[in-house]
Amino acid sequence: MFFRIMDKLRLPDLIDGLAESYEVIGPVAKGEKFVFAPIAGAEELRLDYDTTLLPPKTFFTPPTEPLMGFSMADSDVRSESLESPPRALFGVHPCDINALGLMDNVFLGEYEDPYYKARRESTLVIGINCKPRPECFCDAWGTDEVHSGFDLFLSDLGDRYFVSVQSVKGAELLDRFVETRPITAEDTEDFQRVTREFKASFSEKVDTSQLPLLIDAKYNDAVWEELGEKCLACGACSMVCPTCYCFDVRDRLSIDGATGERERVWDSCMFSNFAEVAHGQNFRGTRASRVKYRYYHKQWGYLSKYGRVLCVGCGRCENACKADINPRVVIKALQGGGVAQ
Amino acid sequence: MSTTTYRDLGANPYRPWPARITSIIDLTEKEKLFELRLIDETVREAFVHDAGQFVEVSVFGVGEAPISISSAPSKQGFIELCVRKAGDVTSALHSKQCGDIVGLRGPFGRGFPFEEMKGHDILLVAGGLGIAPLKSLINHIHDERHDFGRVTILLGARNPGEILFRQQFDMWKHRDDFDLIMTVDTPDASWDGEVGLVTKLFDRIEIDPAATYGAICGPPVMYRYVIDEMRKKNMDADRIYVSFERRMKCGIGKCGHCGVGHQYACIDGPVFNYWEAMNLQGAI
Repeated sequence: MFFRIMDKLRLPDLIDGLAESYEVIGPVAKGEKFVFAPIAGAEELRLDYDTTLLPPKTFFTPPTEPLMGFSMADSDVRSESLESPPRALFGVHPCDINALGLMDNVFLGEYEDPYYKARRESTLVIGINCKPRPECFCDAWGTDEVHSGFDLFLSDLGDRYFVSVQSVKGAELLDRFVETRPITAEDTEDFQRVTREFKASFSEKVDTSQLPLLIDAKYNDAVWEELGEKCLACGACSMVCPTCYCFDVRDRLSIDGATGERERVWDSCMFSNFAEVAHGQNFRGTRASRVKYRYYHKQWGYLSKYGRVLCVGCGRCENACKADINPRVVIKALQGGGVAQ
Repeated sequence: MSTTTYRDLGANPYRPWPARITSIIDLTEKEKLFELRLIDETVREAFVHDAGQFVEVSVFGVGEAPISISSAPSKQGFIELCVRKAGDVTSALHSKQCGDIVGLRGPFGRGFPFEEMKGHDILLVAGGLGIAPLKSLINHIHDERHDFGRVTILLGARNPGEILFRQQFDMWKHRDDFDLIMTVDTPDASWDGEVGLVTKLFDRIEIDPAATYGAICGPPVMYRYVIDEMRKKNMDADRIYVSFERRMKCGIGKCGHCGVGHQYACIDGPVFNYWEAMNLQGAI
């Protein structure tokens, strides 16, 4: 990694340069909220966005995704959807970049997922620093900082960006399209100050110590029944989560029944039939068992495999849940605080 | 011997390979035994499985379902699947005829530790459709019988009409290289064998716990009781193997459906030893 300084006024140069080779996606306003969407120029960007409704995972594992086309006549696969046009995802916050790293463990690990891989390889990720909202607790997981998984990362120093350059592609972009200069001691000091201020500005310190042990030891605790009582089983938490990757697979036939498509769609372990097997046995038939499984998997199951929890503290689930169930509530409840009404 | 494996061939692990149905045998009212041959010769030769592994079977237009392989790893070139008509895909499979083509992915998952089991006595306990994955192990042991000590097989079914592979086991009852006992919950006029749950048969058998590996497969409710019996006979927790049924949409640890405790049944199982399983929250 190396570092450059870019004047804020040069941002349109970077966006225009990107647009020569990539479809540029960035945060834009949608009513009072924000979404990642294709942009035509830097003026459309809202880099002051708090968070987006849906996380960047939509660009790597879309809500509905065709896997292959098939022919009914010979029961064979006709085509696979492995093409992925070049894209630049601009203005991604550290939590969301870290979330992609957690997705990588699953989709690029054992049994590499070719669809995800194609998108990951054809997508440039350009990050930007942020200000924590009250529901942010990325600092609890150490995902407030990001050290890998991006091409460029822009830290706002007021009138200029402190640019972390991690990939060859990122370096070439800067070289070709943007006027930058080497960093000075003053830039580094300003960067440190901004980072310190950021770290001090979280509204609440979430205590995650002993959490893996608690979530295992309190597997039969009454707290899960309380949470199950509240849960609406709507699955919104999974849909907005940048690290939830579960999916269902289904076949769709053409109108004449001659050909069809196999597609995968986002799924949620909160849905009542998620763990059901063919003859009606359901291994997690109650909402309490499903809420428990979701947290158990995220805070312990994934941790046991990859050494990290499957949460980046982005706070989207807190905004999405109509029943006020979120990691901050669950963690406190497990620590003995009960479930606040 | 080729060093290529099926897994090396498939750049896309979601892509099913076409396989022809070469035989269909009606086993009971609900179960049929399918023999499949992968059409591509290279793929067919590279397909090597362990007893206890499963495949994803595609009926295009309907979907995919995970099915345990019943044939022994020692028999190459075809795959035998015992399929109960239970959901959309299995119902569609039941409507297929000999010569029809379906899709096949796999083999997936972790099977029984066959090599580790060698040199030991084996106690196999199956309930109902649980015999499907165990049959692969039984047949594999049969094909390499001299590598094993005493082999005891306990089979349970609801009624005589639901005993799978009845013909084979009826013949085996009289062999001296396998100790086979069958039992049914509800006998009919033709039944002159044991009546009651499979756990009852533990009174009838003698095992040397230090020398024995156990393997269990059946309906979820069965495991706890059978394991209790094995533990009463002083068998070690890590020598008792169980095979779990879970919904597996992808078979490769991505879709999340087969989560059991902190593991995925599709890649960490479906075969677990009891020591692992007893530490899997919500498993048994």
